[in-house]
Amino acid sequence: MSRSETRESGRSGARELRVWDPLVRLIHWSITLAVLINSFSNGEKAFHEWVGYAAVGLVIIRLLWGLVGPRPARLTSFPPDPGAAIAHLRAMLRGGRKIHLSHNPLGALMTYNLWVTIAVLAVTGYMMGTVRFFGVSGVLVAHEIAYNWLILSVVVHLGGVFLDSWRTKVPLIRAMITGRKRIPDGAEVE
Amino acid sequence: MIARLSSLGPSERRAATLAVIIVAQALSAMFFLGDAVADFLDGGRFDVPHLLAETTAALALAVGVVYLMIELRRVLSRMDRMETGLRAARGEMVAIIEDFFRRWGLSPAERDVALLLLKGVDNETIALVRGTAKGTIRAQSASIYAKAGVDGRAQLISLFLEELLADDAGLPGGAAESG
Repeated sequence: MSRSETRESGRSGARELRVWDPLVRLIHWSITLAVLINSFSNGEKAFHEWVGYAAVGLVIIRLLWGLVGPRPARLTSFPPDPGAAIAHLRAMLRGGRKIHLSHNPLGALMTYNLWVTIAVLAVTGYMMGTVRFFGVSGVLVAHEIAYNWLILSVVVHLGGVFLDSWRTKVPLIRAMITGRKRIPDGAEVE
Repeated sequence: MIARLSSLGPSERRAATLAVIIVAQALSAMFFLGDAVADFLDGGRFDVPHLLAETTAALALAVGVVYLMIELRRVLSRMDRMETGLRAARGEMVAIIEDFFRRWGLSPAERDVALLLLKGVDNETIALVRGTAKGTIRAQSASIYAKAGVDGRAQLISLFLEELLADDAGLPGGAAESG
C-alpha cells in the first residue's frame, strides 16, 4: 500500500525533464499571438505594421538566444539538416520512437522555415510602405505568397506536433506551456 | 508538505521575470536602433545630439539584453543542477533506507510501517492506510525500534539523518554552497 503511494508522488514512472526555458516559451506564444493578430484583425495599417515588426523582433531575440541560451534552446542542438530530416522520416515510417529533447530534425526544419517566412513577411511588408516600392504589385504579391506559405506551414507545424505527441507519447503542447517534456519509461532519448 | 525544496518556486519566477524583461528590452532596443537608422538614412549625422543619444541608448539596451540573457542562462543552469542533485540524493536516500531495513531484518509489513514512520505519518493514519488496528501498528513499531536498537521514532529518523550528515568531508565543497 505504501508502495503505490510513493509511486503516486511522482518519483518513478514517467520522467519529467525541463526542456523549454521561459524565454523560448514566451517568444513562441508571442509570435503565435502576433500571427493571429495580423491574420484576423483588419484594423489600422500602422497597427498591423507594428505587430509585424514585433514578430520579426521576436525572431531576432530567439536567434540571439539560440547562440547564448541553454542546450535545448541552442541552434547547434537543432541544425537545419535535410539529410537528418529524411533519416528521421525513414525511422518514423519504420516505427522508430526515439525522443528528441530539443526539436526533432523535421521539427527543426519547420522552425527555420517559420523564422525565414516571418522575416520575408516583415521585409516585404516594410518595402510596401517605402516610397520606392509603394504600389509595386510584385512586392504585394510576394507578401501575400509569403503569408499563404506561413499559414500552410502553421497547419503542417500543428499536424507535426499532434503526430509526434501521439507517436512518442510525449505531450508536446503541454511541454511548450510548462517547459517540461514528460518522457515515458523506457523511451529512447536523444 | 510545507516549503518543499523541489518546487524551485522562486528560481522559476525569477527566470520568468527575466524572460519578460529580455523581450521588452530587446524590442525597445530594436525600436531605437531602427529609428536611428531611419533618421540616419534621412540625412541625419552623428554629430546631431538627438541621433547620437538615440544610438547610444539603443546600444546600451542591446548590451543589457545580452547581459540579461547570460544571467537567465545562469539561473537556468543553477536550477538544473539543483534538480539533478535532488534526484540523485533521493535515489541514494531510498537505497540507504532499504539497506538499513535489510540489515535489521524487518519483515515486509514492518518495512512498510517503518517507511511511514520515517515519513512522519502518525500511528492512527498508518493503521487507517494499512487497514489494521492501531494496536497492531503499535506492536509493529515497537518491534521495528527494537530491531533498530532505538528508543522511538525520533531516534529512528536521526539514524538516517546521521548517515546523510556524517562523512561530508568527502563531498566537494559542501552541497549547500555550490551555487
